[in-house]
Amino acid sequence: MSALALWSRRYGAMIRNAWLVDLQYRAAIVLWVLWGVTEPAIALGIWWSIAGDGAVGGYDRADFARYFFGVMLVNALTIAWDSWQLDRWIREGDLNYRLARPLHPVHEALADNLAYKARSAGTIIIVWLVAASVWPAVRLPLEPGRWALVALAVILAAAMRFFISFTTGLLAFWTTRATAIMELHAGVSMFLAGRVAPLALLPPAVATVAQVLWFPYMLAFPVDLLTGAAPTGAALMRGFAGQLIWLAIWITAYRLAWHRGLRRYGAVGG
Amino acid sequence: MSTTPPAIAARQLSKDFQVKVRDPGLRGAFAALFRPHYRTVRAVRDVSFEIAPGEIVAFLGPNGAGKTTTLKMLAGLLYPSAGAVSVAGFDPWTGGPEFKRRIALVLGNRQQLVWDLPAQETFLLNRAIYDIPLPDFQARVGELAQLLGLEGVLDKPVRQLSLGERMKCELAAALLHRPPILFLDEPTLGLDVSAQDAIRRFLAAYRDRFGATILLTSHYMQDVTALASRVLIINRGRLLYDGALDALVARIARTKRLELVLGDGVTEQRLAAFGTVKSFRSPNAVLEVPRAEAAATSARLLAALPVVDLSIEDPPIEEVIRQAFAEAESEAEA
Repeated sequence: MSALALWSRRYGAMIRNAWLVDLQYRAAIVLWVLWGVTEPAIALGIWWSIAGDGAVGGYDRADFARYFFGVMLVNALTIAWDSWQLDRWIREGDLNYRLARPLHPVHEALADNLAYKARSAGTIIIVWLVAASVWPAVRLPLEPGRWALVALAVILAAAMRFFISFTTGLLAFWTTRATAIMELHAGVSMFLAGRVAPLALLPPAVATVAQVLWFPYMLAFPVDLLTGAAPTGAALMRGFAGQLIWLAIWITAYRLAWHRGLRRYGAVGG
Repeated sequence: MSTTPPAIAARQLSKDFQVKVRDPGLRGAFAALFRPHYRTVRAVRDVSFEIAPGEIVAFLGPNGAGKTTTLKMLAGLLYPSAGAVSVAGFDPWTGGPEFKRRIALVLGNRQQLVWDLPAQETFLLNRAIYDIPLPDFQARVGELAQLLGLEGVLDKPVRQLSLGERMKCELAAALLHRPPILFLDEPTLGLDVSAQDAIRRFLAAYRDRFGATILLTSHYMQDVTALASRVLIINRGRLLYDGALDALVARIARTKRLELVLGDGVTEQRLAAFGTVKSFRSPNAVLEVPRAEAAATSARLLAALPVVDLSIEDPPIEEVIRQAFAEAESEAEA
């Protein structure tokens, strides 16, 4: 119990500080939320006009609307900027005092991650509620069992994206291009994670490649669960199994990169 | 002989870095892209020393000498290439949170204070990280604020503080968990004279009150002369000297300075007969004489010239240190 209380106090203090810093940069918050809305809105606009009155690959206009609203929300709930932060800590020496404290730096990154997610997802849920009140297409089925599965898939996707971002940031121990690698990852995930189109619309060869990698489990799988286009039965199990396996792989990669990287660390200065 | 175990012990400590080297220009950059060459820089070589609990020791050396690298190995930030370290009875690398609760690391050029928030927010964060009970926390903040003169400073955003105020807050944040061992890297860097003095007085008071062990690096000799009873001199990764400052001066400085206030009519030429005239601005003059002859020369001067005042001093400590480095260099070359 006392350990739980200690960790609650630590996370509480770190999230509180992150929000206090956020409040100093209110304009930046608005920009980030706009950015989170703009990308799916543009993708929706394009598919909306392509679909016209018919359907593309089984998706009509209402399906696209639900899908991209789902992308907007799940992306806000699972996004991770940690590689940029970590890259700066390592290259500029801000990791030094963090290593001298009795708290693993991964906890600060995780607390920051939760703080900015709560902020941006909170705003996007309001955007969705306003949209759903006037636009029936983006309303979601209210089934408690499905919501529980969505919550689980979102948590697994968020954990995976956090470790992908943190591990990529750790590459700064070896290279000055860690953030460029993360940019590349973001670029690939535009297509393979389902950010610009539902995976069902990808060319079969690309979809096959996506299925053996972690990208669909980061975003497309929880979005499909959320919007009701979800797989059921064996496909559902495969989705969760994929999430768990890739999460385990990324956690292993993170542990390896952390231990090897620290031994290599040149601690800037002196 | 004391049986108290040392607070800090380094044995044969070494650290090598691999540094990428490339020829200048575009061609060099392009070649390095495909065939990178690495050079091993031996930042610290076979450094051994022990520091007793409650000691204040200063680490001296030019830029790049290996001071900060050694400090970071002691604090568990850098993994040594060879050798062993024991700090508060722990191996810093495997000591984990229990070890980290016993140290504080303050880096003069890096800050842990959150830039956009008042320092007290960082204090609250550290209270949670170090699990400090509220009554202890309040008492310590009050005590540190009083010792460091931080009234009216703690609730201002850090970015609005002066450099001196920031460093004081940085020290307070680092000492809230009351660590018995302090590693301070250039704690007075860039501060004005009065802020430097305040930090020095605070460190001495902290040591006296809590028996803390302090290892600090500094470029300011005043930090060293005011605080440290012992110095470690390091150059090119090697420990050149470990001992009292006075003993170093006696060993290295072969001269003494006679600081004179002269009566009327004494010329620089007349003074030069007694030693090397370092400065002459009538009525003040500084004469350098061989160390062993200082007393005899003073007696002759007093007898031969109208001297109003005379004092015998060691050469400035900066000069002694410079001389120590120069001697080590020439020994290494030989």
